[in-house]
Amino acid sequence: MTERLLAVWVEALCEESPDGSTLRDHSTLLDALTILCPFTESIRLGLFALPLRGPSRFFGGEGAVLDAVRQSVRAVTGHEPLLGVADGLFCAEVAARRGLVLASGATDSFRRSLSLSVLGRKDVATTCQRLGLHTVGSFADLDAARVAERFNGHALTLHRVARGESAELDGQRDLKLARRLRQLRGEDGVGDEQLGFFGQRGAGDLRAEVAAHRVRRRLGVDAVVVAALRGGRVPEDRATLVPWGSPPSKVRDGAPWPGQMRAPSPATTLAHPVAVQLRDGDDHQIVMESRGFLSEPPGVLLFSSQLRRDVVWHAGPWPLVERWWSLSRRRAHLQVLLATGEALLLTAEASRWWLVGIYD
Amino acid sequence: MFAFSVKRPTLPTDVVATLRPVALAKSRMLPLGEPWRALVPGGGLRRGSTVVVQAPPGLGGLSLALSLLTESSARGHWAGVVGVDDPGVVAIADLGVDLRRVLFVPRPRGAWAESAADLLDGVDLLIVRPPSRASHGAARRLMDRVRERGTVLIALAESGAPWPLPADLSFDVTQAQWATSSRLDARYLTVRVGGRGAAVRGGEHVVVLPNRRGRCEAG
Repeated sequence: MTERLLAVWVEALCEESPDGSTLRDHSTLLDALTILCPFTESIRLGLFALPLRGPSRFFGGEGAVLDAVRQSVRAVTGHEPLLGVADGLFCAEVAARRGLVLASGATDSFRRSLSLSVLGRKDVATTCQRLGLHTVGSFADLDAARVAERFNGHALTLHRVARGESAELDGQRDLKLARRLRQLRGEDGVGDEQLGFFGQRGAGDLRAEVAAHRVRRRLGVDAVVVAALRGGRVPEDRATLVPWGSPPSKVRDGAPWPGQMRAPSPATTLAHPVAVQLRDGDDHQIVMESRGFLSEPPGVLLFSSQLRRDVVWHAGPWPLVERWWSLSRRRAHLQVLLATGEALLLTAEASRWWLVGIYD
Repeated sequence: MFAFSVKRPTLPTDVVATLRPVALAKSRMLPLGEPWRALVPGGGLRRGSTVVVQAPPGLGGLSLALSLLTESSARGHWAGVVGVDDPGVVAIADLGVDLRRVLFVPRPRGAWAESAADLLDGVDLLIVRPPSRASHGAARRLMDRVRERGTVLIALAESGAPWPLPADLSFDVTQAQWATSSRLDARYLTVRVGGRGAAVRGGEHVVVLPNRRGRCEAG
């Protein structure tokens, strides 16, 4: 239930400086860590937490993430961070202050062995010590009703944290910090006036550009794609998908195109068509005859030997003969409706059937 | 006139912050096109909210999610689409989405949640289709981030692998029926609109998606 967190503790950044440099450094470091893991949270000045599972899969192991984080803190702030790994924010912070990386499953015994003072309430700690309870574990073993009798409501949350039922202490997060960081970046308040007029680039365009850059850094240069239309008859020819940032194509879809397949078009158009088999009710292969008719009405569509679907309706085929002046390419399109209610677009080319679109 | 001028004290910054006009309630909503405007409480998508679109595989879930983008896209808002491997560009354009302001991340591999979080800062609406069932933790983190950033998250789920957390607004496709002539003409989707708060009152509606022009209209 509580997830494995990496807490990053930078001692030099936890004291507020009067000129605001600490806050600025904190914000820069948050940006740097967000590049490593987008779910990095800033907890307090000088303390960050990030979930470890996703990044360690991505970087190839927890050690690699820890190294990357350590390097980036060093590069950005020039200070050495303390790193701690444990389940839940409370234990992760305590582990970070001691520079401990707990094995998974070791969090419970670690928490129980801690001294009561880590819970941060002197009154509770002193009273318990007088009763002979020195560790978090012995406090956790108390009955919740007894704790509620002796202390006020706040002690009950401590008790829940001590038992591991709650992952973080009440005052552990600085709730005003997020707002201050937003103010620092000048993005407080959700503005709607970000549209560019007459081709002018608005603030929204710049934001989108920054975000696209970030995804590209994570997944590779051609991870982000933009789409455009060009001339053509069938949906799979009219679509162009190019990596974001490549020069825009000059060909635009403006002029009417004779023989264009009319809407609706499939919401999924496969970039690489999938070979399928179309058979009639007696399980015979259906072929396109030379004059553009089907040999038999289709009855079954086979995606593989296991996956077969009954065809309840079909339209077409609509033959296309293109580039007859050079290399001729003969295709025919067919719409089919399956018994499951799905509608598909198929083509016949080179005497085979291909799935090219799904009306998803 | 005066021998000296009184130096005007500067306003403390926090007072300046409080004097700044607050965002109007209207700008907290992203507009919806027909027919959704009439079917959704408030007539738009609240910034920071999560919308779940759920449909049996192949029965119009993707078209429905895309149709929620149209009006915002036409007004200049950016949209992102993560995890839709082979977007049907013609169908998206026919719906009325401005392709110049849509960023696609077709195959995010294992990093769908991370790339979604990366894109969140730069777009106003984000469609996410997780490759398999989304984990509880990833969904919660994404929804928290969306709330913080004021984006609208549209999570696209199949009936077999539902979105693990309750959404602010949900569209459930319960039935899809094609009208045919000599070709596929139009599809009638029965959609149950639900969600939290004011959205709970929603009921079942029939919409045509796509119609003969590839757009969305009331049934």
